[in-house]
Amino acid sequence: MANISEYNVGYVVKDQFEGVNRDLLRDYAKASGDTNPIHTNDAVAERVGLKGIIAHGLFSTGLITKLFEDHLEHGKRGQLIEINIEMRGMVRCGDLIITEAVVNRIEGKRVFFDVEQRTITKVDIKDKNGNLVKQFDAGERGYITEKDIERGLIKTKEVPKGILTYRERIATPGTAIIELFE
Amino acid sequence: MKKNAEFLIKNVKGVVIPGSAKVNIRYKTLVNFAKVYGIIDPKYIGSEEDGIVACHAFANHFTIKAVYKLLIGFNVIQNGETRGIMLDPGKLLHTGNIYNWDSCVDVKPGDKLHITGSCEDVWLNEKNMMLFYKFFINVKNQNEEPVCNVVITAGVRKGGY
Repeated sequence: MANISEYNVGYVVKDQFEGVNRDLLRDYAKASGDTNPIHTNDAVAERVGLKGIIAHGLFSTGLITKLFEDHLEHGKRGQLIEINIEMRGMVRCGDLIITEAVVNRIEGKRVFFDVEQRTITKVDIKDKNGNLVKQFDAGERGYITEKDIERGLIKTKEVPKGILTYRERIATPGTAIIELFE
Repeated sequence: MKKNAEFLIKNVKGVVIPGSAKVNIRYKTLVNFAKVYGIIDPKYIGSEEDGIVACHAFANHFTIKAVYKLLIGFNVIQNGETRGIMLDPGKLLHTGNIYNWDSCVDVKPGDKLHITGSCEDVWLNEKNMMLFYKFFINVKNQNEEPVCNVVITAGVRKGGY
């Protein structure tokens, strides 16, 4: 994408990240100064009813800003003006985070996006007879709630080892604005 | 509990947060932050001699400083006694965030950021008795140039206010 004339409503910018793990959250805590132990210490997180550590809410925000920095070639083609997000769903270690931005409006050199960050949380893999082949953190620690089931967020799909059960939900909806140089 | 919420809605809404926070920006802090996100562009992680700027996600760094230094230390007087606007930070949930960089300058190593803020709105969700605050946070560098305007929405769960 070179300039404003090549954007149109519905144009999608997308990326995904599958590197949320305990080491990364420790590194992020140190780098960001957000040292709340609910992000790095399972025992503390369990004591406040979280069943295990959660990613920092703002960590995911950084994946949105990175999406646009990459898209704008680090300031060569334009600049990020604003992001505006709601933090709705907790992100866990092992989650796949999919960040998708869709153009909803163009005004002058500014492009307005709807942004959606979805998380895929793996629960377990069972063979065709229902025997457990592999259990992930979400299965062991009980991250899946009745509400998730009621809302139809729990899904299955075939994988080489059997049937994978996972939760797919919108963790962070929002908007963004970029301004192009030409 | 509802009395506390009503008190806070009446007395905190529209108030400038007392005090300010300062953040000194070091080269290593910016590089380490960018590396957490796997950022490899030299604009953000290049050599100190060539000069770098903060990636946009670095706004998380000074936003957290604002939360810890300004908001958690924000006290008011209720019935003659000093109390925090959040009685238990463990009940605090960061529920929304806006970063606006319009007409802002980059953050660079050596910068001394100055963070101030105000509470723009307070409301109670009576369904779950969660009290919400909306804070405007201004972040300027040592030359009084804005580097980012932040809006934080935070919910405080029952028992935390």
